[in-house]
Amino acid sequence: MREILFPGDVISDRPIRMPNATIANGVTIATTLAMKESGKDHIVPLTGPWVPKAGDPVIGIVSATRGNMSEVDLSFFGRGLILYSKDSRDSKFLPGAAVEATVKNVENRKDVILAFPTPLDGGIIVNVKPTKVPRIIGKANTMIDQISKLTRCKIAVGRNGMIWLDGGNVALAIAAIMKVEREAHTHGLTDRIREMLEKGFIE
Amino acid sequence: MASLTNRPELLKDGKRLDGRAFNELRPIKIEAGILKNADGSAYLEWGNNKVLAAIYGPKEAVPKHFADPAKAIIKCRYSMAPFSGLSDHGRSGPNRRATEISKVTKEVFENVVMLNEFPGGEIDIFIEILQSDGGTRAAGITAASVALANAGIHMRDIVYAVSAGRIGEHVVLDVNMIEDNYSDADMPMAISPRNGDVLLLQMDGGFTREQLNEAMGMVLEAGKTISRVQREALEKLYEVGE
Repeated sequence: MREILFPGDVISDRPIRMPNATIANGVTIATTLAMKESGKDHIVPLTGPWVPKAGDPVIGIVSATRGNMSEVDLSFFGRGLILYSKDSRDSKFLPGAAVEATVKNVENRKDVILAFPTPLDGGIIVNVKPTKVPRIIGKANTMIDQISKLTRCKIAVGRNGMIWLDGGNVALAIAAIMKVEREAHTHGLTDRIREMLEKGFIE
Repeated sequence: MASLTNRPELLKDGKRLDGRAFNELRPIKIEAGILKNADGSAYLEWGNNKVLAAIYGPKEAVPKHFADPAKAIIKCRYSMAPFSGLSDHGRSGPNRRATEISKVTKEVFENVVMLNEFPGGEIDIFIEILQSDGGTRAAGITAASVALANAGIHMRDIVYAVSAGRIGEHVVLDVNMIEDNYSDADMPMAISPRNGDVLLLQMDGGFTREQLNEAMGMVLEAGKTISRVQREALEKLYEVGE
């Protein structure tokens, strides 16, 4: 049984440190709209901005390159940074380039240092709500693999909510991703998406 | 309060002009997530008040010298649409009244939003009064609170606000425009329902200690209804289909 928690609702009578929650008067309270399975102390946020963590795969667009670093727009209130080592012979990214990278570490909650940046040539980028990204990927990548296979589209998903798509039936893939974003909290979604993709019909 | 010389009769047969009991709220309706471009939004109808609230952010604070490296800042803009009210109740544009209400609204939310989650960031709250009928600052705070929750901004509670007033010896809840203008006192309050913290209390006119207690009791009781409507508006967005 799932229940919806609102900001201020008690998650647990004990003080537990967890994301999307805070401790007040010895109890743990939710700080955002979230879904909770009854009997568990874990909550899944339904909405909210991306909170970067080391290891998150992200997609962004280079906004400026100066000196030994590039700033990357991750559609987030802080900024992504690609740092080039002094003796590096790698070519630097030019402003406007789309990149896929992994978060190396986060400084002061807003400077996101990126590792392993790789350019994404061509294609288009769509933005979704960051809290819906885990559902778009699916358990063991089931959802994104299904969309990619049935539309023959190359897809890269960033935890920051930016998704890059190229080749195949891009319009259908975007429609499927938007449907997952809208209906992320409902049951039986993988089957409905498969049905939609097989029909090839955009609602 | 307007002039008392041509004051209309505010009570008829022991009831208020619109037929409400002393502790009765006007009907409230809230819809969340109605603006696609905003990160969070809410539309509220409270009696004849119609209010639109939108949230943008967290984003990088601008101008840079406003940014606080330890926490986010909140910017709030309360504004009345030019067509929102009758001539003697508020007027549009950034006037003294709108500036004051923007400031007190900002201070209400500074107490519940977890600002330290977004250092150097900025959260914008826009409250637009489309139609006004008294109690718009309370309506604005109630709507903005739902919009903030809709945007997923981390906060400790969903705040509600409502005003109480006094007509002669009677304490009344949720004053409308004519009562607001001609009553003996009016007192908008914003409350954090989780622990009953008072986040806003302004008073125009005066109450005795007993009347103030009675007014606060009415506000806390009405808060249960307002909180329920706020929660239902948010819940509706995430109804589990099938």
